[in-house]
Amino acid sequence: MDWELLLGIGRFVLATTLLLLLTVPTAFVIIQMELKVIAGMNLRIGPNRIGPSGLFQSTIHGFKVLAKEDTVPDQADRSTFTLAPWMVYMAAAMSMLVMPFAPGAIAADFNIGIVYFFAVLGLSVVGLLVAGWASYNKYSLLGGLRSAAQMVSYEIPLTLSIVGAVVLAGTLSFSELIAWQREHGWLLIWQPIGLGIFYVASLAEINRTPFDMVEADSELVAGPFTEYSGMRFGFFFFAEYVALFIMSGILASLFFGGYLAPWPFPAQLDGFVGTLWGILWFFLKTYIFVFVAVWLRATLPRVRVDQLMGVAWKLLLPLALVNLFVTAIAVVAFDL
Amino acid sequence: MPFPGSGIAKGMATTFRNFFAPKVTRQYPEVRPEIPDRWRGRLDLIYDPFGEHKCEVCFQCAQVCPVEAIDMSGFDSEGNRIRFGMPEIYDERKDANAYRRAGLPARPMRNPARWDEEIDTPFVDGVVDGYGGRPEALIAIFRAIGDRYGYLPERALRRVSDRMSIHWAQVFGAAGLGGFRLLPTEGHLVTVCDCASCRFAGGDRLLNALEEELGIRAGETTADGRFSLEARPDVGAGAISPAMRIDTLVYGPLTVDKALHIVGQRRATASAASRA
Repeated sequence: MDWELLLGIGRFVLATTLLLLLTVPTAFVIIQMELKVIAGMNLRIGPNRIGPSGLFQSTIHGFKVLAKEDTVPDQADRSTFTLAPWMVYMAAAMSMLVMPFAPGAIAADFNIGIVYFFAVLGLSVVGLLVAGWASYNKYSLLGGLRSAAQMVSYEIPLTLSIVGAVVLAGTLSFSELIAWQREHGWLLIWQPIGLGIFYVASLAEINRTPFDMVEADSELVAGPFTEYSGMRFGFFFFAEYVALFIMSGILASLFFGGYLAPWPFPAQLDGFVGTLWGILWFFLKTYIFVFVAVWLRATLPRVRVDQLMGVAWKLLLPLALVNLFVTAIAVVAFDL
Repeated sequence: MPFPGSGIAKGMATTFRNFFAPKVTRQYPEVRPEIPDRWRGRLDLIYDPFGEHKCEVCFQCAQVCPVEAIDMSGFDSEGNRIRFGMPEIYDERKDANAYRRAGLPARPMRNPARWDEEIDTPFVDGVVDGYGGRPEALIAIFRAIGDRYGYLPERALRRVSDRMSIHWAQVFGAAGLGGFRLLPTEGHLVTVCDCASCRFAGGDRLLNALEEELGIRAGETTADGRFSLEARPDVGAGAISPAMRIDTLVYGPLTVDKALHIVGQRRATASAASRA
């Protein structure tokens, strides 16, 4: 028996289990943050009844969803209807596999982690389309098509905005990218345009305000989720917040040094302490970006669908291409 | 052109400031607003579902207002806007008000000339004193004054209020709701109700009969000026359809014969009064 292989499998199972478990409190924390932060920005107090200063409001919401009736429309395609929330959720959860929490705390440190990340994240489009189609409801179907159009459009500038950074660092692995940033400074300095494109596109990719027309909860039925109720809807809802966490984490890792402290000292902490130190910085940076996303939601109105597509194809895509070419030329010319 | 994104930055700054600003939420069941003891809310007139004021100018609110701050006006049967209440300003009224509330006879107004021209003050005083100044005799007093003038002059009502030391709102309210005429009019105004309920119940036959009887069309006045005829939908007596109003008194439910009888009676009284 190959113990090495068994150990690898055990480690993988443990890591995926931990990641899946992590998604639940993450979603609770972000939903709670959203409730409280938006309330504060609206000059309200926000939920304050459940737990100390309303701390368990979102948790109660989560458990409430469990207690709700889970209806399936009469004509719905039952198997795919059931599968769709799972697909969306798993797309979000699986992309966490390559998320660099700390040195040594990556579930799977692929050498093509970045490619894997964007490939898996794109799977959620399939889930949304399936949800819209399986619901046997024209609003759901249209909502699913809309979300597919939006996410497919934004996937292109989102991915292209990273290529500049990849060319610069010469790696597709997250841990190596962060190692590169340790030596050369955060990619924020090297790729400001890439960062801007990535941020806008990532908001659209995870359907956050101001690009949340998939759901548009104040004016539309809930897009592809129209027919969903109970915990199946809860899964979509959770997936949205988990995706926000992931996007913030990836943003922090790609452009803001990930688990690196903002100053070089202590340059190299090893072992367990180093992991904890890295996790601290990773979560700090990630939640700063989560806060910014919530802050944006409290501030900006929703853009129109035509504006959304216009921005993607007429502004972000050319910019991303220019950014890529300039970076490539600079890399060749200055031998970076 | 402003720098692209400056608007977003401005909005973000606003929301960020708000995040740390004091919150405006009031924790209602636990924290209640401090309301002064004498606060009675804001005065407002409410409307019925058809957009008409529900106020009937009954003066009950004016009667209970402790500082006599409520004044009112309305429309008479001809749609003229008239004042039932006191045209003086509150400052003029508050002394009399204070005296009345103290149970003392009200002093004359500061500027009695404004009130006591044109009416026969000794006559009004005599009528009031003749009934011993008892409030329950108000209707009888109004009748006597109405017989003298043909309507109730505002100034006479004011004089009654002062003389009897009762609240003017009570006097005006009783006069307005008692069916007394508050404006001088030539002759009688006969209004046939034109609302849906009355028309179904035969209001149009009533109108035709009256037009024939008086020799005029709706909206016209007889040559001698004694009767005007009109058809309006606002008599407001759907429960007694078909209804008719003469001046301020509403009759119903009517048959053609009954209506002709009532109008005939009025014609007789009117000619008797003109002879006397």
